[in-house]
Amino acid sequence: MKEKNKYAFLTSTQMILVYVIIAFSLVVGFRQPAFFSPATIITICRTGIFTMCFALCEMVVILSGGIDVSFPAIGCVAMYVPMYIVNRVYKIDSAFFAFAVAIIIGLLFGLLNGFLVSVLELPPLIATLATSSVASGGVVTLLGTREFTNLPSSLQAIYNTNLITYTAPDSGFTYPLNVLILVPVVAALLVSWVLRKTMLGRGLYAIGGDKNAARVAGFNVRKLQFIAYVFSGVFTGIAAMIYNILMHSATTSALMGDEMITIAACVIGGVRITGGHGTVLGTFLGVLLITLVQNNLNMLGIPTSWQRFVVGIVILLGTILTSWQAKRSMNAGRA
Amino acid sequence: MNNTTKTSKQRDDHIVVLFGMMIFVLVLMAILKGKTYFTMANLRSMIFQFPEYGVLSFGMMACMIAGGIDLSLVGIMNLSGVTAALMIKAGLPIPLAILAALAVGTACGAFNGFIIGSLDIPAMLVTLCGLEVYSGLVLAITGGPAVNNMTDAFKNIANGFVGPVPGVLFIFIAVALLVAFVMKYTIFGHNIYFLGSNKKAARYSGIDTLKTIVMTHAFSGLLGAISGVIITSHLNSAKSSNGSTYTLLSLLIVVLGGVNPDGGKGKVIGVTLSIVLLQLIANAFTIMRAPDTLKTFTNGCLLVVALILDVVLEKRALKRASRTIPS
Repeated sequence: MKEKNKYAFLTSTQMILVYVIIAFSLVVGFRQPAFFSPATIITICRTGIFTMCFALCEMVVILSGGIDVSFPAIGCVAMYVPMYIVNRVYKIDSAFFAFAVAIIIGLLFGLLNGFLVSVLELPPLIATLATSSVASGGVVTLLGTREFTNLPSSLQAIYNTNLITYTAPDSGFTYPLNVLILVPVVAALLVSWVLRKTMLGRGLYAIGGDKNAARVAGFNVRKLQFIAYVFSGVFTGIAAMIYNILMHSATTSALMGDEMITIAACVIGGVRITGGHGTVLGTFLGVLLITLVQNNLNMLGIPTSWQRFVVGIVILLGTILTSWQAKRSMNAGRA
Repeated sequence: MNNTTKTSKQRDDHIVVLFGMMIFVLVLMAILKGKTYFTMANLRSMIFQFPEYGVLSFGMMACMIAGGIDLSLVGIMNLSGVTAALMIKAGLPIPLAILAALAVGTACGAFNGFIIGSLDIPAMLVTLCGLEVYSGLVLAITGGPAVNNMTDAFKNIANGFVGPVPGVLFIFIAVALLVAFVMKYTIFGHNIYFLGSNKKAARYSGIDTLKTIVMTHAFSGLLGAISGVIITSHLNSAKSSNGSTYTLLSLLIVVLGGVNPDGGKGKVIGVTLSIVLLQLIANAFTIMRAPDTLKTFTNGCLLVVALILDVVLEKRALKRASRTIPS
């Protein structure tokens, strides 16, 4: 029995991801020895921050049996509007104000999504697509498309606060790791705790697995769906503000198209698209793999024009692997 | 018998609503900009625009009726467009190039369908990956820049006239009739509806679900390829980012046209009407010189309204049915 458990652990989706990540790193490192350096870790952390934040939002929504493709649009609005106010309406130099506006915008759109999906019972994909075009279309029509590249000094101060700064010994380049990396780390731990240890988290799994059974068992399905979408909206607002600070740029289209990579990261990490299954650790591994692949295809000598295709193939294979695993575990359960 | 008249009545409601919205738009434009809206030139420019995404929407319709969705249509469209463009640039005859484009589109669709059906992965996920793979393939083949400057004969497919009428209108009508015929009068079409309304029941009643799913997506891919040929000929250029807004647009058209997002219900006539309606609205925005983004905003609102309308209509029909049955 113990032997069997060990085998199941070693061939679980998460362990397979770990093998793939190690194998990929070895291949890249073999071709480019410069890959094995603290600089690589810092670069991956820097690019992974946003994907991780958005993947957490997406994971919670998918767990509850829905899907959210509106977060790129919500995020764009949530970083564009505060910067618009600061730059063109009234100069308020306060990090608190910027984050508050971003969070309120995320909250409002999250409420809209929640209303469409849980009260009107519209299909989540189409409802969030509609929210997405309402959000991006509305903000551009009202406020126009500009790019704000100047941060107010309070946000600039956050940008300048680094956790560690690594200086490469031979080239003299510095690789700073911003303090904002703590946001996805803390959020991941928190979400993981809520999902595993609280009634709220168990309820999210329950309604994702079987809505009717959850209702019969006494869960308030509508409330839980609402919470999932509102969480997604609020945290998207925060993540968008982080993007604004780290990238020094707020535009109305910066995040557009990210939904694909984010959903893929969740699914590769073992989150079942039909709901009810998935862990924060798996999602983290999925994000790590995708960020690794995206960042290091150059090092493998794959030309830029082929990269989208290669990333697409990797995602497709990951999806196939996960659903094959799901099928296997279901068969094992039956036997 | 009573039951069937009830459901057909409810369908009619939807089509009446679509007609009502069309008349509303026309009257509104007659009041605001009557002189520029109701001209031959404007009518022609409208006819030139809608076949591209109209044909695409039929593909989306077939998949959605089967209980799935096809988000990779734009990728298939561009891949087959590039195939045709490159073959024509290489000097091959046009019919051969078009046939190759259609074959590529059908193959992509069949590939989607095979993965969806054989591994039981939700269509949304597979076609989302498909979009990335096919668009990535276009980027890889062209290396980034668009393929331009095809021969005049090819350009004439979408830009030519038959008498005073743009030729693409006939292509669109032919495709619409073909789709209507397939959905209504073939066993394959009936299987699509059956699969969409209850997959398990369809399997137990002896329908080869895998075959039906593969065929549905291949059919959708074929339609995507047709629209790829039209758009390549229309713009005289093929690249990976053509028509990137068409995914949302075709979803909107299909849902507005009365197709049930969960599958099983939907008619070609409803989708056709909603294609025309959206073209009327889009054109009205152009004439009013409204920004493109306002159109995106309006489309999003329309999508929500269409969905809510469907929920309301369905509830009313149910209420009516429950009132008549006991008596």
